[in-house]
Amino acid sequence: MSSLLELEGVRAGYGPTSVLHGVSLSVPDGGVVSLLGANGAGKTTTLRAITGGVRWTGEIRLGGRSLRGKPTEDIVRAGVAHVPEGRGILTELTVDENLRLGSHLRRDGADVKKDYDRVFEYFPVLKERRRLSASTLSGGEQQMLALARAFLMKPRLMLLDEPSLGLAPMVVRSIFEIIRAINQTSKVAVLLVEQNARIALELSSDAYVLEVGRVAVHGDSTELKNNESVRRSYLGY
Amino acid sequence: MARSVLERARTAPPRYWLVGLVVIFFLGFPTVISSFLASEWTQALVLAIAIMGLNILVGYSGQLSLGHGALMALGAYTSAIIVHDYQVDYLVTIPIAGLLTGGIGFLFGIPALRLSALYLALATFALAVVTPSLIKRPAGLTGGVQGILVPQPDPPALASSAYSAVTGTAMTSEQWIYYITLFCALVLFWLAWNLVRHRPGRAMRAIRDGEVAAAASGINIAGYKTLAFAISAFYAGVAGSLFGLTIGFVSPDTFPVALSIQLLVGAVIGGLASIPGPLLGAIFAYFLPIESSQWVPSQTWLPDQITSTVKNAGPAVSYGVVLILLMIFAPTGLVGLLTRGYAALNRRLRGAGDRETGHLPPDPQTV
Amino acid sequence: MQELFQLLVSGIATGGIFASLALALVLIYNAMGLVNFAQGEMAMFATFIAYALIQRGMSYWIAFPVTLVLAFAGGILVQRVVIRPVERAPILTLVIITLGLATLVNGLAGFLFGYVPRSFPSPFSAQTVDLLGVFISYRDLGVIAVSGVVLLVLYLLLQRTTVGLTLRAAAFHPEASRLLGVQVSWMLALGWGLASAVGAVSGIMVAPILLLEPNMMQTIIIYAFAAAVLGGIESPLGAVVGGLIVGVTINLAGAYIPHVGGDLQLAVGLAIIILALLLKPNGLFGRAAVRRV
Repeated sequence: MSSLLELEGVRAGYGPTSVLHGVSLSVPDGGVVSLLGANGAGKTTTLRAITGGVRWTGEIRLGGRSLRGKPTEDIVRAGVAHVPEGRGILTELTVDENLRLGSHLRRDGADVKKDYDRVFEYFPVLKERRRLSASTLSGGEQQMLALARAFLMKPRLMLLDEPSLGLAPMVVRSIFEIIRAINQTSKVAVLLVEQNARIALELSSDAYVLEVGRVAVHGDSTELKNNESVRRSYLGY
Repeated sequence: MARSVLERARTAPPRYWLVGLVVIFFLGFPTVISSFLASEWTQALVLAIAIMGLNILVGYSGQLSLGHGALMALGAYTSAIIVHDYQVDYLVTIPIAGLLTGGIGFLFGIPALRLSALYLALATFALAVVTPSLIKRPAGLTGGVQGILVPQPDPPALASSAYSAVTGTAMTSEQWIYYITLFCALVLFWLAWNLVRHRPGRAMRAIRDGEVAAAASGINIAGYKTLAFAISAFYAGVAGSLFGLTIGFVSPDTFPVALSIQLLVGAVIGGLASIPGPLLGAIFAYFLPIESSQWVPSQTWLPDQITSTVKNAGPAVSYGVVLILLMIFAPTGLVGLLTRGYAALNRRLRGAGDRETGHLPPDPQTV
Repeated sequence: MQELFQLLVSGIATGGIFASLALALVLIYNAMGLVNFAQGEMAMFATFIAYALIQRGMSYWIAFPVTLVLAFAGGILVQRVVIRPVERAPILTLVIITLGLATLVNGLAGFLFGYVPRSFPSPFSAQTVDLLGVFISYRDLGVIAVSGVVLLVLYLLLQRTTVGLTLRAAAFHPEASRLLGVQVSWMLALGWGLASAVGAVSGIMVAPILLLEPNMMQTIIIYAFAAAVLGGIESPLGAVVGGLIVGVTINLAGAYIPHVGGDLQLAVGLAIIILALLLKPNGLFGRAAVRRV
């Protein structure tokens, strides 16, 4: 499988503070990769670097093309859906309007309709609350909305920042099932940032563990899962 | 150990010398220019006083006002009415106008505490627009549309003889008024400089830079903000009073909203939160519109199309264009430009930092 | 009683004019947290353009939409050239720039068109129609109708089209919108274009009443401020309701309060602003805090 996303020696930070000190990773076409690590290790910063939310040096390539100097909107339009920390729900708008913002750039009308049907199949609550303000949704429902919206963008790559944060275990499980379904049926690649390493490793094929802005461990998810010392030192279980 | 005056003069920073030069320049200036020009420069000084007051409000305490023209009107009419109705000497009315306007400013400052900067700008803008009509109404008091004439005093014997002793010519009315205004400006600028250097100035700047932090350090936010309003209104009142004296009358049309805008513009262009800023800003605000319609067209080296366009387009267009350009390229104002230029020059000439102490010259904000 | 009704109707008509300009202010405020002090002057300039077109033989009902399109383009131009370089500057810089813009546009209008007041045609006859025993002028009805149509079109544009959706998204949540591929900077320009066009409507409607000259909008902008503050500077609905209330109030005040003549109606506008800011600073339809992400 060829690499859809490649990071090479990426350094990034906020003002004088440097957070990433040379991160290299790759996400294959249609693959699922986890990015794990403790709080403050730089996972969110990595995602923000990819979509141009923070200045970086090094190299980031999407489908072979460098993302250097590109504004966020352009990177997104090139096929990257980024669900940020906090989910980025537009609370001034309705659920339906949030969804429409996901699909507004697409030209394939018939497929858009099919995708909406799929979305309402996965998340019936969104269909019920279509006309309501997005601010009325609970945390779990907002996560569903963010995911649905990202799916509607029909991206090549999804960046998910801690989708399990603050959600009940049952909800987490169903959301991850849906992420798996999306990846398998639509072949959307996923770069998954998670603190809940266990469930991330079940979903992804590959995993990177960040520690203080560097890749400390990289390997096959199954191997990492079965490696007790890695789990103890880096993954917390 | 007390230092002698000579020693202090020798070691004073270059800024102080500059100030001294400027003061001497303004003292001597009227002797070499026509009376008419003296009158124009008086108006510029009047603006400088008002802008200094506005600067205390906007630059040091962070509140916006687009209505200081209305406060000037208040000061001007106070003086004019007292002189007209009670035959009091004009000079006496100047501080009265200042204090009255200052009091009104304090009263404005109280509700202003609850408004955001933008709403305050909006409300004061509306006030400035309505002021001419508010003045016209009580015609019995204010002389209505006609306004009130302000008799311009002759110079008193003492001043006149001092002047002729130095220059050999008699002092004109305009020149006397110029010196009155200059005196007030010097006193008020000195007052402002002291205010800014000591606790009130520090408190206001702390409020401007972050109210929450300032409140946490125990600063009385409401007190200092209303004080800033009161002081800036006082300055505007004095300026208004002097304004009436300078032009010889007060009328509703001498205080349009354009005046309030001119004051804020002068404050920002000159450079906020600085002492020399208001003077530079006043000179800019007063002379640019005049010069653009006179000086530019008289420059023969410019092609005709440019000069005739500038001349016909008039002061408003050039004023607007220059304003926009300055805000885009030099938002810290002329003082900011000069400081950066001075600092750059300094680094070139001296290497980084003062030879003896290694310190770079401080920027005006710390004056 | 009849007189009261007549005053109400003409107050609503005037209110429609205020509402249009207030709506322009609200659009820009929502986009960038700035009150555009030059909105009135831009509207005046657009009205002069309409005048020039009509003078050259264009019919009123063609010149009207053409002017709106030109005003739209002008608004975009202003945003790209003057506002974008200072997008992130502190509010004071932006306020000064809009003041500079106001001075510039006013001077430019004076330069191009002179200061002699001109009469501006109204497409509605000056006659009155008898409605249930009350005489209402066609002009008032016409202004109400035109304002109503413009407001309706704007509403539909903002609420029912994709462009309107992306515009609202960019205004309320610029960062989150970027992550959805919305070109926020262009949405800002679009906002300025729409505001300029809506403001132009206000100018064209008021010109037959006030006579067209460069200072024509200086009182209208105050009433528009009053409408926006009263209704809530963030709320388009508030701008409309506020406009109507201000229009009716100054009409009634002018007629029924003995000391208020034509010139002191403006003072009533000021009073509304001050009272609204003191008693209900967020306006009738405003929100206490808007969180932008």
